[in-house]
Amino acid sequence: MRSALRLERFPIPGPAAQASVPGVYAWAVTVAPVAWGHNRIPVLAKIAAAFAPIFLLGGVVIERRWGGRGRILSLWGFTLSCAAAWSSAPTVVAPLLSDGVRTAAGMLGWSVFAFAFAGPPLGKGAVVRLADNSPLGARRDLPRGDMAYVAAGALLAATTQLFGWQVAPTERALLMRLITLAAGLAILGAWAGVAIARHEVRDVGAPRARLRAALVPIILLIMLAAFGVLGRFSSEWTRVGWGAASSLWRA
Amino acid sequence: MARLADLLAIAFLVASMAAFVLGDGALARSDDLRGGYWLAIGAASLWAGVQVARPRVKP
Repeated sequence: MRSALRLERFPIPGPAAQASVPGVYAWAVTVAPVAWGHNRIPVLAKIAAAFAPIFLLGGVVIERRWGGRGRILSLWGFTLSCAAAWSSAPTVVAPLLSDGVRTAAGMLGWSVFAFAFAGPPLGKGAVVRLADNSPLGARRDLPRGDMAYVAAGALLAATTQLFGWQVAPTERALLMRLITLAAGLAILGAWAGVAIARHEVRDVGAPRARLRAALVPIILLIMLAAFGVLGRFSSEWTRVGWGAASSLWRA
Repeated sequence: MARLADLLAIAFLVASMAAFVLGDGALARSDDLRGGYWLAIGAASLWAGVQVARPRVKP
């Protein structure tokens, strides 16, 4: 009789191994076409592009021996190799960035790679920190209303992606994608945080304490609003003043 | 009072969304100063919204 497959015999892959899959994808979409997609490419770009996956996959091996140090070496070796490949062939990178589908696929690959490296899933024996005073429920039971919060956050985050697809300079288009992605992630994280906060035990005098906790950002908002109003008025005054001065000069 | 704080939190979050949209639009028009201003407003509104929405945990 064949013995059943024992999954626990297999070693749990570390963070570098988990991040290697999206890393290879990001490399294949954004770096490999630069190094081998055209004829006149500097040798340095090809060498750097070839070293990038070696660092990435080598990190899977050396992570078991060196732990976190091996992971850091793999991360920086991979990213710096990719950066060296791009900077060695800037004339090839610019036309590639104008391809919207390729740019979006590359952003997705690098984002997933960054997430996998920064926050890998917990391994066997990891210490799990639980929030105090929060009732634990079964994981498969999604509390009522949470999906609405997350869906609203995802919808609002997706709305930010509607902008900047027709921007002409490539650098500006790339900046727009970066900013809209960061804004979308921040919005999604905020709405998810609000959904989680609904399940915490509320104190009796909570509303006033909640407003007090938001004092710093509210003051910051007031300062920004005052700055905007003052800036608008000062620009109007400057325009009126310059207009009066030039009319006097002409007279 | 708690309901008012909840509404204020939602208002901050919606305002942050509007500010982000205005900032993105300004950046797309190469109006960097205005874009950065609206993005800063959006980030501060988002921060305020999360702080107001988060309840104080009973000690």
